[in-house]
Amino acid sequence: MSAVYEARDLEQRYQQRTALPKISLVIESGEAVALTGPNGCGKSTLLRLLAFIERPFSGELLYYGDRSNPRREVSLLLQDPYLLRASVFYNVTLGLRLRHRREQLESIYERCMRAVGFADPRSFAARGPNALSGGERQRVALAARLALNPRVLLLDEPTSNVDAASARAIAEAVTQCRRDGVTVVCSTHDPALIDALQAREIRLGRRWDEI
Amino acid sequence: MEYLINGWFGALALLADMDDATLSAIHATLLSTLYAMTAAFLLGLVPGFILGYCDFPGRRALRLISDTLLAFPTVLIGLIVYAFITARGPLGEYELLFTLPGMAIGQAVLALPIVISWTAQAVENLDPRCRETLLTLGANARQTALLTLWECRFAIGMVCVTAFGRVITEVGVAMMLGGNIRYSTRTMTTAIALETSKGDFAQGIALGLVLLFMAFLVNLALAFLRRRGARA
Repeated sequence: MSAVYEARDLEQRYQQRTALPKISLVIESGEAVALTGPNGCGKSTLLRLLAFIERPFSGELLYYGDRSNPRREVSLLLQDPYLLRASVFYNVTLGLRLRHRREQLESIYERCMRAVGFADPRSFAARGPNALSGGERQRVALAARLALNPRVLLLDEPTSNVDAASARAIAEAVTQCRRDGVTVVCSTHDPALIDALQAREIRLGRRWDEI
Repeated sequence: MEYLINGWFGALALLADMDDATLSAIHATLLSTLYAMTAAFLLGLVPGFILGYCDFPGRRALRLISDTLLAFPTVLIGLIVYAFITARGPLGEYELLFTLPGMAIGQAVLALPIVISWTAQAVENLDPRCRETLLTLGANARQTALLTLWECRFAIGMVCVTAFGRVITEVGVAMMLGGNIRYSTRTMTTAIALETSKGDFAQGIALGLVLLFMAFLVNLALAFLRRRGARA
């Protein structure tokens, strides 16, 4: 295995507040990693850094040994994801449109929606985000990430705000990604998800240590 | 009391007949408002978006100025634009005074702060997760900005409808810059002011009813946009 991420003394601060104390870690390709720790310990901040949507205050983050920004290979699912005021179909295929990919959008939409547990994706295609439950929104947002075929899937507490059925569907979809060789980094308090992913646990806290 | 009742009946008769003067006032009102709104929208949308979307030195000061201009007295706008387009003014050679385009310039100046300030407000009010989500989906800076603007479409639609309502019911600028010339620059509001001063309540009420109907349409559009925005 080769290292997808190599972080050295990575630290994030917002003005004077330390959001993520210095951390060094290595995440191998195809690995599943669960970030655990108390609220406010910096799990979400670390995921944002790994997604390259923020720059660190200090330290170094290498992606496949390189400092270049691979934002289009990495996809982050936020804890409380936002769906655009458009149809579910548009939301799921948005990332592909942003990459100017217009072919086979329907089949990709169907595949990804089925992967996150929607038995009849077509019945959801024209709905707006306000016509979805919290669990459905979370699964639609995950489907949008799966549509991108990311090399790295980052998940910020994906099962924390959803019902049991949605949590199961999300866990199954993420586990399948893992089987397909996608590197999965997930912040979670959900032991069932950690077990399903067979993830290596990295506990964040005042002092971070790997278990 | 009788003259008021007669005025209402006369107004209804005038509306049923739709005489040339009434039609001309409606036409002038709609045309000048359309010119003004087009100009205000074209000139104000991008600055408003930048004010709401970007963070740069002096942004707060610009917002303050823009917000202050919301309360710009219409008579003062009329006076300033008059000074520019009068024969002796810097734009005098274009002979815009007492024409519909001249009137539209004043109305555009009136609508511009509304478009800028409220567009900025609409962008600021957008859920901050929107931009973050677009970044996580791999959007570049241009795509993020354009999609953020698209995401504000209902709110910006409401801004336009509100500015339209402000411009179409305005009388000071239309009177000063249009001159209230019959069959030319006489709008519904200036006609109402004139007919009322002449004691012709029927004509004033007839035009008032048309204006009220337009205000109703504007509010209907606002309600529709609010509902679409809430549902989407």
